[in-house]
Amino acid sequence: MKKLCIALALLTLSGIVPRAEAKVRVISTLQDFASIAQAVGGDKIEVDSLAKGYQDPHFVDAKPSLILKLSKADLLLVAGLELEIGYLPPMLDQSRNAKIHPGNPGYLDLSQGCEVLGRPTGTVTRAMGDVHPFGNPHYWTDPENGRRIARAIAARLAQLDAANAAAYQSGLASFEAKLTDKEKQWASKMTPYAGAKVVTFHDSWPNFAKAFKLEVMGHIEPKPGIPPSPTHTLEIINVIQQNKIKAILVEPYFDQKAPKFIAEKTGAHVVVLYPSVGGTPQITDYLTLFDADTDALVGALGGN
Amino acid sequence: MTLMELLLPAFVASLILTGIHAYLGLHVVERGVIFVDLSLAQIAALGTTVAYLMGHDLHSTTAYVYSFGFTILGAAVFSFSRMHRKTRVPQEAVIGIVYAVSAAVSILVMSKATQETEHLKEMLVGNILSVTWPELFRTAVLYAAIGLFHYIYRDRFLLISMDPDEAERRGWNIRLWDFLFYVSFGFMVTQSVAIAGVLLVFCFLIVPSVTAMLLSERLGPRLAIGWTMSAAVSAAGVAASFALDLPTGATIVATFGLTLLVVAALRRAFRRERAGEGAIEAESARV
Repeated sequence: MKKLCIALALLTLSGIVPRAEAKVRVISTLQDFASIAQAVGGDKIEVDSLAKGYQDPHFVDAKPSLILKLSKADLLLVAGLELEIGYLPPMLDQSRNAKIHPGNPGYLDLSQGCEVLGRPTGTVTRAMGDVHPFGNPHYWTDPENGRRIARAIAARLAQLDAANAAAYQSGLASFEAKLTDKEKQWASKMTPYAGAKVVTFHDSWPNFAKAFKLEVMGHIEPKPGIPPSPTHTLEIINVIQQNKIKAILVEPYFDQKAPKFIAEKTGAHVVVLYPSVGGTPQITDYLTLFDADTDALVGALGGN
Repeated sequence: MTLMELLLPAFVASLILTGIHAYLGLHVVERGVIFVDLSLAQIAALGTTVAYLMGHDLHSTTAYVYSFGFTILGAAVFSFSRMHRKTRVPQEAVIGIVYAVSAAVSILVMSKATQETEHLKEMLVGNILSVTWPELFRTAVLYAAIGLFHYIYRDRFLLISMDPDEAERRGWNIRLWDFLFYVSFGFMVTQSVAIAGVLLVFCFLIVPSVTAMLLSERLGPRLAIGWTMSAAVSAAGVAASFALDLPTGATIVATFGLTLLVVAALRRAFRRERAGEGAIEAESARV
């Protein structure tokens, strides 16, 4: 009985007194940010993510477990640019964790400091359809933005957990070195296909196209969720035929019926390109993501 | 490739849909089970989803077998629920419950799947523009088989749909015929939803037979009106989607709605005029 009391007392105390080795709890919306944070923070942090890499990042079903994760987090990493606007704000409110609300150090919007493409110039109106008024939120598909993301995370971790600042700095240095190495590999793999023309399902690959020197000639479904008109479908078919485009890029979570139909008509290939870490079990971190995607592209662009 | 080459399969598809849907639509409206197609389509989608989770390709034969298996299950439920009239549970309630539960279970199953989750949404929206000729051929053969089945047993199916009490008096096994009706209907709906999506299939089924009911009480004319209207609306819808640069499926649906509205308005105006004439005649007779 006495032993039990002591054990209970210890348990209670351990909850109140912060342990010296307490890890910073990081939660991110995308698995990509989680992977980069893990590379930077190593064993000093504990990382988890809300959306799985195989899900459409615009829609995440609120599950009780996700709110629980948010309520315990010290640092929240978001893509911003309204990518998470459909699900994050209510979950954030329900988490009752002021630390990670916008404006506090526990909230980090990674789009700031990254190169964001497709910022509309002039005023945005409803008539333009489903545009992201702050720019295209799929910016992490450029590895150079991955570097910027890593730097931002390292700086913020050092601010929140000054005792381990040196560890974060060295974590960042080793991630950047690996990334630089890999970038050379990817670039040489893609060199023969520089300037290759492609068509994408939605407008979600401008950063990827820029980084890997592809030219996006059009989108199969310009407005997500609304089937394209016959004229538009015909335009895309003609663009593919005239430019002898070999690849139609589709994210894994979209139905492939329409892209396959157009591919059949034109002789192009449907390439399933993974936008995020965890899209398939083989893509375990931010670097293998680009390994897989460049492999898929080389397969389609190189084959006849 | 020209626009004609792109639009022609879509137009032929809507003509093929017209043939069987306008006929089975008569049954569905007579039976008062308007939403049975949505419900069976949803349960078929659940079957495909389960097949997908078991590792089969979405558009494979195995996936089709799964979706058909689930449809048979739904058909069994609907053929039994008619018998519960004594408890005063309307069949539409059972249909609604099947719809809601299978939609929810599809979401649960998909939350465990890793890819093509959009497929659920896509299945119900459909894109009639991406239909291919081989697919159309298979569909035509399937519909012809279902049509033949219904033609051979037309006396049974028609009487049970229009006058179930009389059918019961004759001692027919209504439960069995209901089951056969829903199985064949489910077979058709599974295929047509894959091509055209739920909205369009619903319109092809319900709007022609409702329009025909406004204009005639006899079966033959009603069928003729339904087929004519359906074919004309398909042509007008495809043409409008081209002229106004709009998504084809949704344009056809809107054209169906507009046509029904116009027919209903004309009928009312016409009836009034006739009623007015009748009153004058009565008046003059009195004088």
